[in-house]
Amino acid sequence: MKNKNLRRAAAYVFALMLVVVDAAMMQAHSHHSFAAQYDAAKPITLTGKVTKVEWTNPHVYVYVDVRDEKTGEVANWALEIGGGPNSLIRQGWSRDSLKADDVINVEGSLARDGSRLASAQSIVLAATGKRVFAAPIPVETPNASR
Amino acid sequence: MRAVELRAREKVVAGLALAALLAVGTLPRAAHAQWWENVRSTVPLNAKGEPDLTAPAPRTKDGRPDLSGIWNPHSNKYLRNIAADMKPEDVPFQPWAKQVADERGNGSHSREDPDANCLPQGVPRLGAAPAPWKFVQTADLIVVVHEAFSLWRQIFLDGRKLAANANPSWLGYSTGHWEGNTLVVDTRGFNGKTWLDQVGKPTTEKLHVTERYTRKDFGHMDLEITIDDPGAYTRPWTVKQDLTLLTDTELLEFICNENNRDLEHLPGKPLGE
Repeated sequence: MKNKNLRRAAAYVFALMLVVVDAAMMQAHSHHSFAAQYDAAKPITLTGKVTKVEWTNPHVYVYVDVRDEKTGEVANWALEIGGGPNSLIRQGWSRDSLKADDVINVEGSLARDGSRLASAQSIVLAATGKRVFAAPIPVETPNASR
Repeated sequence: MRAVELRAREKVVAGLALAALLAVGTLPRAAHAQWWENVRSTVPLNAKGEPDLTAPAPRTKDGRPDLSGIWNPHSNKYLRNIAADMKPEDVPFQPWAKQVADERGNGSHSREDPDANCLPQGVPRLGAAPAPWKFVQTADLIVVVHEAFSLWRQIFLDGRKLAANANPSWLGYSTGHWEGNTLVVDTRGFNGKTWLDQVGKPTTEKLHVTERYTRKDFGHMDLEITIDDPGAYTRPWTVKQDLTLLTDTELLEFICNENNRDLEHLPGKPLGE
């Protein structure tokens, strides 16, 4: 009986994971090719203080001041969130989920054009360890199929 | 006397029920409650009280399949590549169209994609965008309201024909008719500026799109699309997609040009150059 319940619980967890993965897939919005703009082979990790959140269509942008540990210089980076506000709202996020002055740890993919821009795959609030705008962006491989 | 007592008791019960309803109505809502919450749903429920997406497809009062509802493609797959389920060599490109698709396929022209410029995705690509869309159905007209870029289409079922001199347009002119349980939509009068997908299959003003929508059950719809564009392809070709009903949301405003920062970072020429 216990095993049956465990199996059922495992099935629910698996189903939930599928829903989360599906939501992540849908988050990359229609609007442009991520593969053309970002290079999945160039991962980047950034830590810094949020200076601005643009809760706007077609994609949400987060700006963060990142200090270079070696030189001490501070540079402002732009982070593109895969979804627009609508898909984030449907996942339960709001324009207040991330604010200026929040310190965040970011994992992302670097822009191909060399600018201080990355697509954010993961944003974690340093203060709480909680993930914000949790769904990662699938970066397609260019020319994968046609 | 007994009947009068019963009526009095019924009044008390009704009064209590009304008071309870009013009390619920005045309860504070959760901080992030959305405006689609607390709406009376017409979605059939299963024994567990969850939406039953496998319940029978509804019908209109005049017996037609009722396609009304908010629909969404299952993934970004066909937005990315409308021929994702075909062998690449089975897409019947004309030589020039093959060359264009090959040039665009590696993303090096992504800045020229109308979609990236917040221009309409065209038909059928608009329906494959992950933003949901809504069928609003009447006997003579079906309106498709797309969240993507807040666009809309009209599908006339009143027997009208497309005028020969119709001004070329992004989303074309659509007429529809029923074949059994399937809504067949013909769309012509395109401007030839749209890409069929993100990898860049071209279209011309000769494009004629046929969409066949069949609601299989309450929550699932089959969509068969035939691309007939004698300006770019050597013969008509057909693809199949599937759609899922969304029961727990509502369409939201999506104004693409609000903050289109991506364009300057995409490879390719500015549109029109």
